[in-house]
Amino acid sequence: MNWIQVLLIAAVIALLVYLLRSRTNAKAKAWVKVGYVLFVVLAIYAILRPDDTTVLANWLGVRRGADLITYALIIAFVFTTLSTYLRFKELELKYARLARAVALEGARTPDH
Amino acid sequence: MRDVYLVDIDTPYPDAWIIVPAFNEAQVIGDVIADLRGVFDHVVCVDDGSRDDTADIALRAGAHVVRHPVNLGQGAAIQTGVEYARSQPGAQVFVTFDADGQHRLKDVVVMIDRLAKGDVDIVIGTRFAGSTVSHTPPLKRLILRTAAMLSPSSHRLHLTDAHNGLRVFNKTVADNLALTMNGMSHATEFITLIVENHWRVAEEPVEILYTEYSMSKGQPLLNGVNIVFDGFLRGRMRR
Repeated sequence: MNWIQVLLIAAVIALLVYLLRSRTNAKAKAWVKVGYVLFVVLAIYAILRPDDTTVLANWLGVRRGADLITYALIIAFVFTTLSTYLRFKELELKYARLARAVALEGARTPDH
Repeated sequence: MRDVYLVDIDTPYPDAWIIVPAFNEAQVIGDVIADLRGVFDHVVCVDDGSRDDTADIALRAGAHVVRHPVNLGQGAAIQTGVEYARSQPGAQVFVTFDADGQHRLKDVVVMIDRLAKGDVDIVIGTRFAGSTVSHTPPLKRLILRTAAMLSPSSHRLHLTDAHNGLRVFNKTVADNLALTMNGMSHATEFITLIVENHWRVAEEPVEILYTEYSMSKGQPLLNGVNIVFDGFLRGRMRR
């Protein structure tokens, strides 16, 4: 085993432990955790047998496994960015409603 | 003072509420509110978390004041003002009016009279209709016209000026108005809501007073990019 493989696997397992230990909204995000475990399993497999990703890449018409992973990464990144953007917009809306409620509560009327 | 003529205005509008969103407008808000109060009984100024004393000046000038604890943007301020006004007894006519003094009172009166004919739910001011001489700077004019043409909803409704701050609408519109775009994209969203709710709309030519002050406060033209982008993403959001 190469050193890089050791490091990568250690990092992935550390992330897994960190994620499973976090207790924030446990039930709602259960499927995220399942997805993450799946990701970790696949990641460790790909780290140990990198040539297998090339086989998969070839099936899809991509020459190298590393290229395939780059493409997947780009898609995942764009998806994450967009969903974060929408999440922020949603929060902004809730925040506006909160501020609006405060504003209407403290309305002042003129004397004349 | 600007050229506002109160001579030919003698009709009282007891059921009209003027909504003035304001952010750091202490310099001009007093005059704007006082002018409005000369004609209208009910003016509500939404102070969008200003750092100056906009709220106090507006209150002294005779406006109701609601104050956002933090700055949210003009769309949010308009929504807050409409929610305040529509909860007031007897409110039937609602007007959005920019705080920087770029609108003319007599345009508001003409638009309210237009609404009173009863065949439309909302009247929107336009800088670009027919015979009115427009003093819009050429670049701004080009961008605004392009924005109006790019927006599928404006196009469908044959609106020529999607980003005019002057609007007059009835209780139906006020009760159902739910702007979610806090920033400057609310103008486009307003138009989208008109289409979605099948409100009947008309345009009325108005003049914009491009003073040095209002020019310095106006939105940068590059903001148009944000507006188009927000418009595309709006549909993606759960509401």
